[in-house]
Amino acid sequence: MLQEADIGVGISGVEGMQAVMSSDIAIAQFRYLERLLLVHGHWCYSRISSMICYFFYKNITFGVTIFLYEAYTSFSAQPAYNDWFLSLFNVFFSSLPVIAVGVFDQDVSARFCYKFPLLYQEGVQNILFSWKRIIGWMFNGVISALAIFFLCKESLKHQLFDPNGKTAGWEVLGGTMYTCMVWVVNLQLALSISYFTWVQHIVIWGSIALWYIFLMIYGAMSPSFSTDAYMVFLEALAPAPSYWLTTLFVMIFSLIPYFIYKSVKMRFFPVYHQMIQWIRYEGHSNDAEFVEMVRQRSIRPTTVGYTARRAASVRREDRFYDQIHTDLVAF
Amino acid sequence: MSSNTASSSAGSGDSSAARKNSKRPKYSKFTQQELPACKPILTPGWVISTFLIVSVIFIPLGVISLFASQDVVEIVDRYDNDCIPAPARTNKVAFIQGDSPKACNRTLTVTKRMKQPIYVYYQLDNFYQNHRRYVKSRSDSQLRSPKFENQISACKPEDDVGGQPIVPCGLIAWSLFNDTYTLSRNNTPLAVNKKGIAWKSDKEHKFGNKVFPKNFQKGNLTGGATLNPDIPLSEQEDLIVWMRTAALPTFRKLYGKIETDLENGDTIQVTLQNNYNTYSFSGKKKLVLSTTSWLGGKNDFLGIAYLTVGGICFFLALAFTIMYLVKPRRLGDPSYLSWNRNPGGGR
Repeated sequence: MLQEADIGVGISGVEGMQAVMSSDIAIAQFRYLERLLLVHGHWCYSRISSMICYFFYKNITFGVTIFLYEAYTSFSAQPAYNDWFLSLFNVFFSSLPVIAVGVFDQDVSARFCYKFPLLYQEGVQNILFSWKRIIGWMFNGVISALAIFFLCKESLKHQLFDPNGKTAGWEVLGGTMYTCMVWVVNLQLALSISYFTWVQHIVIWGSIALWYIFLMIYGAMSPSFSTDAYMVFLEALAPAPSYWLTTLFVMIFSLIPYFIYKSVKMRFFPVYHQMIQWIRYEGHSNDAEFVEMVRQRSIRPTTVGYTARRAASVRREDRFYDQIHTDLVAF
Repeated sequence: MSSNTASSSAGSGDSSAARKNSKRPKYSKFTQQELPACKPILTPGWVISTFLIVSVIFIPLGVISLFASQDVVEIVDRYDNDCIPAPARTNKVAFIQGDSPKACNRTLTVTKRMKQPIYVYYQLDNFYQNHRRYVKSRSDSQLRSPKFENQISACKPEDDVGGQPIVPCGLIAWSLFNDTYTLSRNNTPLAVNKKGIAWKSDKEHKFGNKVFPKNFQKGNLTGGATLNPDIPLSEQEDLIVWMRTAALPTFRKLYGKIETDLENGDTIQVTLQNNYNTYSFSGKKKLVLSTTSWLGGKNDFLGIAYLTVGGICFFLALAFTIMYLVKPRRLGDPSYLSWNRNPGGGR
């Protein structure tokens, strides 16, 4: 039975270790099952779904900028960026933040996961990893890429970006676009999570800083190794105010659509865990009666597995919300 | 998540021994995921203030960028069609490849005072310097040092002539732009400084000062300019500028600098040699004179973009304020709860 189940949980104890050996997860006492399911189960689902959606987003942003550039090179497969930039995007500049989200993110704290067990149903009913959400993130990636590419291209239209009259070559356009992209994907992650510890701060801002440091170090290596990126930052990009202005503009512009979407969603159409965040913010979590009311209201003849997902999609999210939402916003 | 390992199982022995033998892992905030955390959520205050801050920063930036771009004076003159004499216009390619004299006179009028240094550029349209085969067709090691003269494998088909390596090899060098411009103002010659037009890192580190052109343009097809074999590559600034491949099919490259002011109403006479063949691929050639500002050349885009987005953010701040005022969260009243109307867990 343990092996047939999607996830088998074995309890080690006086009856021996056989259950532990054939299970996916072993715990020591039956009472730990509550934490395992309600806290870690919910966190695991929420982390993995945001991590995967974000992963698609950042790689689509990266790939679509390169693709758009191809249209301007008569599709000759000349990449927009230096070779090492291409290889290291997914290694240095955007990997640690997404790992931090996948491992450490908490949309609601453990205390609230206990208080509001219905959060576990977010996973059962597949609310956070629905096709709508996946396609939405991919679409966000395409929009970001379009914004990055066309804004950088327009600002370097006649390549006169330097106060000393020199013209911008391929490496300047590539460096500008890549800088914008590193900023946009990292800030996008910062916008989409709502839990910041020193870990998240270090990986997000550190990845951005690492990009500049890498540019300087790589640019300082001999031209036989760094070819066209030789001194590109210190000599061409950094002294040009138009580079910094373009980066700032593209960064903010690419994030405005998502910001609007999230503000509207958070305020008017919150998902269940976002409702819990509102409850925490407004201090109602200390009101035992209110919490008890929410728990009572959230009792459902829910099922598990496939039938629960079918019931959820048939029921439509609005009906699920209407009742909970009405109660929660009533305060 | 991984398993929650045992807390102290009350094993055998007395309680003090059991406590000493506890299997509970050492508590740390990191492993128990209880790090002090900041949990921001997008409250109406945050949203509106973010939009307001963005518009407060962007609108002034847009204004100063637009002013900087408006200050730049730019004269653009397309000459590739007009510089072909009328009888030859039916077959431009034959004209450009033939031997007839290619000199052409153009007149530019200065409409606003231009302060020195004034930069002279040539602009090419529909020229894909960013095509992959073209970009790869060069030998960086050869350019740097005479020791690597024979590293020409990437340069095909412009790699050698009669068994001897071409220095500098490759299509990029072979297609060097060879129109020349001689400027004069009110019948006095205007000096165009052709030094200092290349990036310093190129001159000092990528193009060696001991490398001299050899066998250049000696093959069957001449693609562009010839190079003086007595001048080392690090001083052939036109070549250096040309070999920094452009990013887009429409690009400008620096030709030289004028170091005197030009007054409003001046007439600039340009005597140009229309040598370069852009006719076989319907390219365009333009001569550009431009001043620069701290932002670069004439490009209103950044200024207009900043102003537009600043305005949009301001409008969004207002819109969100209205939205939050119109649909506030209702204050608590237990009779609103559907729980009270529908006792017990219902659907």
